[in-house]
Amino acid sequence: MTKRWALATLPFAVLLAACSSNAAPSGSESASAAPTTEASASASADMSETAEASESSATTAAAYPVTIENCGLSITYEKAPERAITMNQGATEVMLALGLEKQMAGTAYLDDTAISDRFKAAYDQVPVIAEKYPTFEQFLAAKPDFAYASYQSAFSEKNNKERPALKDDGINTYVSDFGCDQDKDQPASWERVNDQIMDIAKIFGQNEKGEMLVKDMTATLDKVKDNKAGKGAKVVWWDSGKTDAPFVAGGTGGPQLLMDAVGLENAFKSEQSNWFNGTWENFVAADPDWIVLADASWDTAQSKIEHAKADPVLKELRAVKEDKFVTLPFSQTTPGVTLVDGVESLDKQLSESK
Amino acid sequence: MKRLVVIAGLIAALIVSAILALGVGSVSLPTHEVITVIAGHLGLNAGAPSDQLYEQIVWELRAPRIVAALAVGSILAVAGAGLQRVTRNILADPYLLGISSGASVGAVTVIVFGVGQGAGPMKIVMFVAALLGGLGALGMVMLLVGGRLMEASGTRTILAGVVVGQLCAAYVSLAIMVFATKDAAVAVLNWTMGSFAGVRWGDAVITIGVGIISAIAGIWLIKPLDAMALGDTSAASLGINVERTRSVVLIGSALVASVTVATVGPIGFIGLIIPHIVRMIFGGQYAAIMVLSPLLGALFMLWSDTASRALVPSREIPVGVVTAVVGAPLLAWLIWRRGGRP
Repeated sequence: MTKRWALATLPFAVLLAACSSNAAPSGSESASAAPTTEASASASADMSETAEASESSATTAAAYPVTIENCGLSITYEKAPERAITMNQGATEVMLALGLEKQMAGTAYLDDTAISDRFKAAYDQVPVIAEKYPTFEQFLAAKPDFAYASYQSAFSEKNNKERPALKDDGINTYVSDFGCDQDKDQPASWERVNDQIMDIAKIFGQNEKGEMLVKDMTATLDKVKDNKAGKGAKVVWWDSGKTDAPFVAGGTGGPQLLMDAVGLENAFKSEQSNWFNGTWENFVAADPDWIVLADASWDTAQSKIEHAKADPVLKELRAVKEDKFVTLPFSQTTPGVTLVDGVESLDKQLSESK
Repeated sequence: MKRLVVIAGLIAALIVSAILALGVGSVSLPTHEVITVIAGHLGLNAGAPSDQLYEQIVWELRAPRIVAALAVGSILAVAGAGLQRVTRNILADPYLLGISSGASVGAVTVIVFGVGQGAGPMKIVMFVAALLGGLGALGMVMLLVGGRLMEASGTRTILAGVVVGQLCAAYVSLAIMVFATKDAAVAVLNWTMGSFAGVRWGDAVITIGVGIISAIAGIWLIKPLDAMALGDTSAASLGINVERTRSVVLIGSALVASVTVATVGPIGFIGLIIPHIVRMIFGGQYAAIMVLSPLLGALFMLWSDTASRALVPSREIPVGVVTAVVGAPLLAWLIWRRGGRP
């Protein structure tokens, strides 16, 4: 039973971690450290004024030491890591998005989907040291000086060692705060996604690249937000669950960020969860304008559509009768750098159907 | 006479509970609308509900769940009562023969490996897979015990059931640990905790049919089961076909339990505790056990499911959790009370 519970919590941790993907709207704490291009250019004249300013302007000669506070552990980096290991897809994609594949000694544990096409070429240059979590032997054999994971479960006595012990061994670590036990109940936000990107960028002395990435994602997000393709429409975000209770998106996870971005109204926004086992009564009573379907290999969007059209109750729903379905791969709903891909896809599908 | 009063009381409680349960759920509906819907379906001319939504929620979502809960509760209780006698094991219940684990193998194979997906509606694929898994487990048990399924002591059968059950459990754990994605793992976990949430009229009709058959079978078995309390030899001398009784109960329980597992997933505890509760209150006569167990099982299951869908308004609590939380203290109290006066 214990194992089952552990298994049960894993997906939630995954979802939380996944919520870290991209662009920071104004006011993000970490993003506020990133001045505009002009500002950073002028600031380069007197780099030493503040640590933030000096960091942001120094790509080649980064200002080390850098101290990063992450998931209850403060770690000071004297130089950029050279043999980084990433565990979980979200962490791997952040590194690749920052163009850090040359400094990676290995990756492990993709989610249920393959790596995004745009990271494929870089991903193939890095050895895959394990399909899921590496054993401690595989971990050590890769000779890492830095390990970065989406979930705290990557650093446990069971898998390798806990983070303070690894630090004593000279292996620094970083955990996405979406997967950090002490932070993961916080609602997902673009700020948290951006903070994570900037933390990693700073560790590797790539502050400008980090800022550019954040800026790109923010620009995409702003464009979609202006478009408001989903304005005023009510949705149920249906992940899975056909023969039992519907597993749907609540108001604090990656899906909520996506819905907010395109102006959709989540029927279950008040639910303080990323995902939860809802009830068919509420599903039917919500009478959504749209149904968003998670598409996973083991539970395809198509199979959910077929179920809805055959079910005596669901087939009477307006959205089902009118074929108002939107489909997104699960990986684009989890807080990583691909979350913004999910926003774009949602925007496109809603715009096209108008 | 006392027994008739109890039976009448239980039936009245079932009817009242079923009607009350129609009015309870995650969406709160005006009482008069609920009554309108019920009256309409009872053939009373009460007019149409003011919104089609009421009809859908009360009649298409809640009513089949209630019917299925009543049926499943009675099926499991009857099967448990029968098995406890023919295996001479007070811990026997329909899942002891590895049936639920076998059915889980079927369900997990569909959820994790996608076998059979696309061959038809997911619901039917899952139903068939769980049924095949449950029957497959029973087949393995029968193979293991060879021709001795009907031997006097049920010990060998039970051991074989435990072996098959463990093997199936290992398969399920392995499939989740090694092959399942995180999402699939949640789905498997949800499935293994049992739920009536997906029940529609189609499932309700199947389970109520099986429920009626198993209740009649239970009553038909009262005499042989009572006789078997005295031992197989004495029962045989009373003209009871002991082997036939034993095989009917073993195979019959496996079949009906497989149907319940295929419809609502494994739901533990009911088959185990309901016969014991009846026994502790009304004594060990099967005339009492086989009539009262299905009624009490149905009532217990109905309220467990109602709690699972109504306790937290916006969420489903797995019904297996409710049956354990309510059932365990109830049984504990009965054991304690009985211990108090020898």
